Amino acid sequence: MSQQLIHPPALGAVGDDRAGGSKRPQRRRSASSRRESRRERAGAAFIAPHMLMLGLFMLVPTVYAVYSSLFATKLIGGRQWVGLENYRTVLHSSEFWSGVVRVLVFGAIQVPLTLAIAFGFAALFDAGVIRGSRFLRTIYFMPFAVPGVVASVMWSFLLLPGFGSYAKALDRLGLGHVDFFSSRLILPTIMLIVIWEWTGYNMTILYTSLKSIPKEVTEAAIMEGASLWRIIVHIKLPMVMPSIVMLVFLNAVGALQLFTEPSILASFQPQAVSFGFTPTLFVYHTAVGSGEYELGAAAAVILALIIGALSVAGFAVRRRNGEFR
Amino acid sequence: MTATSPSTPAARRARKAPADQVSPHLYGLRRTTTLAINLLAIAFALFILGPLVWLAFSATKSQAEIYDSFGFWFAGPFRLWHNLSALGQNVSGTGIFVHWLGNTLLYAIAGAVGATVLSALAGYGFSRYRFRGANTLFLVVMATLLVPLTAIALPLFLFYSKVGLVNSIWGMILPSMVSPIGIYLMRTFIDASVPKELIEAARLDGASELWIFWRIGLPLAFPGLMTVLLISIVAIWNNYFLPLIIFSKSGLYPLTVGLSAISQAAETGTKAELVPVLITGGLVTVVPLIALFLLLERYFRGGMLQGSVTG
Repeated sequence: MSQQLIHPPALGAVGDDRAGGSKRPQRRRSASSRRESRRERAGAAFIAPHMLMLGLFMLVPTVYAVYSSLFATKLIGGRQWVGLENYRTVLHSSEFWSGVVRVLVFGAIQVPLTLAIAFGFAALFDAGVIRGSRFLRTIYFMPFAVPGVVASVMWSFLLLPGFGSYAKALDRLGLGHVDFFSSRLILPTIMLIVIWEWTGYNMTILYTSLKSIPKEVTEAAIMEGASLWRIIVHIKLPMVMPSIVMLVFLNAVGALQLFTEPSILASFQPQAVSFGFTPTLFVYHTAVGSGEYELGAAAAVILALIIGALSVAGFAVRRRNGEFR
Repeated sequence: MTATSPSTPAARRARKAPADQVSPHLYGLRRTTTLAINLLAIAFALFILGPLVWLAFSATKSQAEIYDSFGFWFAGPFRLWHNLSALGQNVSGTGIFVHWLGNTLLYAIAGAVGATVLSALAGYGFSRYRFRGANTLFLVVMATLLVPLTAIALPLFLFYSKVGLVNSIWGMILPSMVSPIGIYLMRTFIDASVPKELIEAARLDGASELWIFWRIGLPLAFPGLMTVLLISIVAIWNNYFLPLIIFSKSGLYPLTVGLSAISQAAETGTKAELVPVLITGGLVTVVPLIALFLLLERYFRGGMLQGSVTG
């Protein structure tokens, strides 16, 4: 059952089925078109509840947030129209931009690393050279069921300077006193946690994708004397590229919104994570921490626009590659 | 492993290889290479299991032992039951863990059932009907896939403070019912498993559209429904940012927000017994989902594509 479900959402492929359908011959016009319009109404009725919820809980709040971001709450005079003032404040905040740069660096390292490990294991599992494949794949996927909050708490305890089991083990191995929460290592530490959380998920998608490659392709390559390495890198990798592109998207959008891990680490070592460590933390601290909701809304809108721009750029690449029809 | 199996390991593996897979011995890997690959795979499994094993052992310890003893074995008296009983108390005024467990169950089940119902209806509508604007609407739904709940949590909060949904369980449950990935999965699943001919036949028999959906569409799409239900439960159970923003009363917290409140109190406060509560609470948060996952793994595998990654 799972085969067709796991395939990446080929966002553009939706139309194909329908385009074919609308070309049906138009016979017995009156009766069939009356039936047709009844069906149209039925189809719209089926999707209406979800569309209503989507509108109420995604579109309306978003529009309202954009509207709110044009105001400021003053001590005297209450809520006042300030136009684009909040946007100017956010765009001039070095704190906000340092967070943006940090998540971009974070994503630029974490996403390829996660996908490389995930693809490597997926390909080896797919080739059948690992014993206990099913069992190991289940273990790899387990962090999917662990909330980010709990994952961050566990890793914080394991890496806690002086106390954590892993920190102590490194000390005993002669690698010295490693402070995973220091300003230099905090980002790699968060990468470690995020890789722990998401590699198995990515691997499972890629594994399923690899499974759909016909066996004959591999057999032919072996006949021609290709090594396992060559088969994986030069034959299978290009064939699962659409899945990888989609995963780059999902992972990158996640990386740009990094929040849970740094905010939990901050409760262990408050000085390790600054006010605007990531843009989402900036939004949270501005809005909830300092009570400047309108300013926070402006920051949220800017963050959404940055993510949106990257997504559109990604779509453009996909379209150029002929995956988006 | 017994005398009846073929002699070489390669041949044994070759026999075991499923029909759709090339026998691994054909790659002609050296024995040492295969060994290295297997050790690497086991090392990664230990990397994944490490924190979870540590969590399980630490839930049986006192605060001092959690810091001082070896992390991957028991130490001191077995205090798991004692630690679990502390979850029923309000240890330092942060709130009561068992209430959060109840809240999480309520949010996850109500939200996931809602998401499944809405996704089934919409997925069926998109899959089996043609109507004006269907394409555009589907693209809108798919676009929201790239906008995880994290991005609209603050907008939701601002909106809630206008309409009085701050500190309301509905503020948590209702937006959780919007599941673009659920619709995508249901649509693909119904495309593949509910034949158009069957629907046409039922129509000729005079069945209503709703009856057809209820008696033909839904039963055939059952595995898809399970998948959507399960990934929705996991997504809501693990959601942190939305409840963090919209709830200020600790009595409404789900587990994730409650645990983060404890972790703040444990590390900055002086209360001695908070660390065991945090760790045992973490274990209790994780166990139901891992159990659900191991029991119903095949349904999870059907829905690998969850909307958001990290958050």
